[in-house]
Amino acid sequence: MRNNAGQSEIAAPAILTAGLAKKYRLAVRPTLTDFDLTLAKGEFFGLLGPNGAGKTTILSILCGLRRPDGGRVRILGMDWAKQRRLIQTQIGIVPQEIALYDQLTARENLMVFGRLLGLGGGKLKEQTAKCLDIAQLSERADHRVCSFSGGMKRRLNLVIGLLNDPLILFLDEPTVGIDTQSRHLIHQELQRLHSQGTTLLYTTHYMEEAQELCSRVAVLDEGRILQEGAPGQLLQESACRNLEELFLGLTGKQIRDV
Amino acid sequence: MQKILATIAKELLLLIRDRAGLLVLFVMPAILVVVITLVQENVLALSGQRPTEILLLDQDGGIFAATLRAALEAGQLKIAADSPKQPGDFQKLIEGGRYQAGIRIPAGISQRLQNAMAARLAGGQSSPPPSNPASLTVLFDPAAMAGFRAGILARLQMAARAAEMQMMADGLGRSLEAKAGGPAPGQPGTENSLVTAFSHSFTTITEQPAASSTATIEDVINPVNQNVPAWALFGMFFTAIPIAGTILAERRSGIAIRLAGMPVSPLQLLAGKIAAYLCVCLSQFLLIVLIGISLFPHLGLPSFTLPANPMALLPLLCACCLAACSFGTFLGSACSSYEQASTLGSTMVVIAAALGGVMVPVYAMPQLMQKISIISPLNWGVNAFLDLLVRGKDFSSIVHDLARLLAFSALMVILSWKRSPG
Repeated sequence: MRNNAGQSEIAAPAILTAGLAKKYRLAVRPTLTDFDLTLAKGEFFGLLGPNGAGKTTILSILCGLRRPDGGRVRILGMDWAKQRRLIQTQIGIVPQEIALYDQLTARENLMVFGRLLGLGGGKLKEQTAKCLDIAQLSERADHRVCSFSGGMKRRLNLVIGLLNDPLILFLDEPTVGIDTQSRHLIHQELQRLHSQGTTLLYTTHYMEEAQELCSRVAVLDEGRILQEGAPGQLLQESACRNLEELFLGLTGKQIRDV
Repeated sequence: MQKILATIAKELLLLIRDRAGLLVLFVMPAILVVVITLVQENVLALSGQRPTEILLLDQDGGIFAATLRAALEAGQLKIAADSPKQPGDFQKLIEGGRYQAGIRIPAGISQRLQNAMAARLAGGQSSPPPSNPASLTVLFDPAAMAGFRAGILARLQMAARAAEMQMMADGLGRSLEAKAGGPAPGQPGTENSLVTAFSHSFTTITEQPAASSTATIEDVINPVNQNVPAWALFGMFFTAIPIAGTILAERRSGIAIRLAGMPVSPLQLLAGKIAAYLCVCLSQFLLIVLIGISLFPHLGLPSFTLPANPMALLPLLCACCLAACSFGTFLGSACSSYEQASTLGSTMVVIAAALGGVMVPVYAMPQLMQKISIISPLNWGVNAFLDLLVRGKDFSSIVHDLARLLAFSALMVILSWKRSPG
């Protein structure tokens, strides 16, 4: 899968957006206004923001699930409108929800999504076994997902996003509501992917997680980037003790209910 | 193709694992068909039908035809203004289901009746009954229900008797005029001979199915052949709700987001889902047909009979299944929750079934509803099934209904596709 990208895309940034705008039909204000973002290949980028800041909208546009009202998006130098299928072979998505078929086993889930990704035969079996191993679910591979704990489901949810060895992995709060061991395993896997050159775009509400994992973060509110940079650099510049303090300083302490 | 096959395999696997869902999909329609057929068998035998428009083929043109026409209209049987003059057209209009019944008055019946009546009046009680009674023929649409047929026959018998009496009275008047002073006791025209003459019926009524085959009315008009496809179709359209449920579950669980991010088009996903449920609908129909063939005779019902060419059913069956499944995908993409899809879906299917003639035959509905019924996909399906199974028509007669079902399916798939994420 990784070898499918054209030569012309090699030098391009992993993600490039310029002047993105989005307003939902019933919304009073636009969710995104003139939003620019560039991610170099191999970056581990954390998108932080309170509820309603526009994180999921950005992720949806970058994953090709929503069309922006204005602006342009390039994924590995490719345009969603023209090279949709090719882009989709190069990316992996880990939704915030546990996006699994409950009545299928872990192996069956991997096989179904693998086939839909275009994998087949020996390659599919190999990738399935590899993903089960990463998620430490090999022993429970033939058990139905409905019998799994929250942590097991989260781990499986993550590895399905890795079936096609994506060049870019989009993760929407992948560690919500799980046990410490499962979270630790997911962190380890994400760090391994980062070390192998995978570009990761990650949204989370856990500031310590972003501080530990991300090479660069952006604090987002009302569809605009308030501050952006490496976590260490941001803390140094702002004289904050941690990202949470910086985050609250930038976005305020008022509860955001969407 | 691999992706469509993967989707089909996934849907079937999910269905097999969902035992409650399977129960709903297979057992409920089967119970529905058995119960409704049993109930309708008795109800239809007892119930009458409302007055309706019938055809009249007048090959006689004499006094009896004119008197019968007046008597029929007095008996609330409306004669269609476009009643044809040719027997071929007459048969076609009934066979095609446009009219449910037609009366053929044979040529020369007035003359034969007048002769028979004159002989009867002249011969009194000693006169033998006519050896060759004048016969009226009633052609019925094979899809006409038993109660409807009984109602038409009863009203025709009354009208024929009234017409005969009118003719007898006219004949008697002429006879009395000719015999000034009146007849002697014991001679023709006495009180006894008049009673005998008036109490005798000169016409007989023959019932015939307006079908292409030579089968008798009992062979062709089989309530099981009418109920099995109609209620099977009704059950089939209820499959739309579980299909919508799978789409909504995928949307709710985030699977739809994952799928939209994969190199697979929404059309491929819809095709896979429809193909999987198409197998379900076909199996459902097969089960119901098997029940109709093997179980119904044990319940005192006639057995379901397949047409001479059962393969002609297959394209129709596939088109009906396709319409039901694509309606399910539309329902799933248009609704925002399972509760909404379930309520909306079941209401729409019941309305479409009512309009489509599943519950009450279309010809028994008010004129306005008959016109509206044309919009129901169940009407197209039921009509085509009746053409093949009951009216004994060939494949060419159902092509327009088939085209409507396929066009409906295409529209549903396009609307679902447009609403798909990604």
